[in-house]
Amino acid sequence: MALMPKRVKFRKSQRGRMKGNATRNNFVAFGEYGLQVLESTWITARQIEAGRVAATHFLHREGKVYLRVFPDKPVSSKPLETRMGKGKGEPEFWVAPVKPGTVIVEIGGVTEDTAKQALVRVAHKMPVRCRFVKRRHSL
Amino acid sequence: MEDTLKLKAEKRENSGTKVSQRLRSQGKLPIVLYGHKQQTFPLAVDMHDFVEGVHHGHRLMELEVDGKNETTMIKDIQYDYLGRDIIHADMIRVNITERVTVSVALDLKGEPKGAQEGGILEEHADGLEVECRVSDIPETIEVSVDDMEIGDALYARDVKLPEGIDLASDEDTLIVICRTVEVEEPEEAEALEGEEEPSAPEVIGREKEDQEDEGEQEKGGE
Repeated sequence: MALMPKRVKFRKSQRGRMKGNATRNNFVAFGEYGLQVLESTWITARQIEAGRVAATHFLHREGKVYLRVFPDKPVSSKPLETRMGKGKGEPEFWVAPVKPGTVIVEIGGVTEDTAKQALVRVAHKMPVRCRFVKRRHSL
Repeated sequence: MEDTLKLKAEKRENSGTKVSQRLRSQGKLPIVLYGHKQQTFPLAVDMHDFVEGVHHGHRLMELEVDGKNETTMIKDIQYDYLGRDIIHADMIRVNITERVTVSVALDLKGEPKGAQEGGILEEHADGLEVECRVSDIPETIEVSVDDMEIGDALYARDVKLPEGIDLASDEDTLIVICRTVEVEEPEEAEALEGEEEPSAPEVIGREKEDQEDEGEQEKGGE
């Protein structure tokens, strides 16, 4: 089941811009290892779900997967073969806008090698370049 | 006892983003020195020496500023947006005999018994706040998790600290817990898939507006 908000204040949103780098959510906070994006993009709910399934399937019953992004931005589009005008299209799917540096997925409770392999599978589902990061324990 | 790293520091005349970026491109690291109710100085040190010192676990550094030596301790470090490079550091003046409160990383040793029964180790705290002499700051605190079974939790009060080091964190701080992973049963997952997905989320305030509109229409009709 793809992620989506339960309640929203507004049905449609403007596109917005993704300037700069991530100043928050840019370090591993819950698990031991994480996947950090290196470009700014919109990650769709389907991509997040595909990543989660790939990681949990690889890990079997070991470890825990933490999703650090949530698709809370609706993207609308017009139906095919429709003339321009007549107002904004209907929401089609949901995305999570991310900036370079954002940690999108974290894994805990497994060895580094296993986590790396699981996160590579998640990275393959993502529309941007990602890198493997570890939790920083000290200064 | 921790070794003290000696670094030469020069005062920074100008401050700001652009000036700091220029300094970094020249192989220098902007730092700030404060503490002991003395004047605050924006300084610059050699990037390579500082980073190497940090990677070797040095917390204490002796800075030579205008021919005068200052014993300092790293208070905070700022990293870039990817968490790779150090971009700034805060240094605090200390006396070698002074007692300070610092955060020390925890090093979990061993494999818990519960892991063999399908449990995982969930870390809740990276480090502990401890109070000790500046010269006795440990690099890490080792914690053995060998005896942990499923359902066991380790709190700050359970950690054995070396002599001369006192706990400054809350005693009830949860450090690590060994527990089983809650796995979604396939049947449940299928049942969830079978359910009809709501196509659109509920719009906050929309029902109220609709009711008000209906009410107005009824009044108008009368």
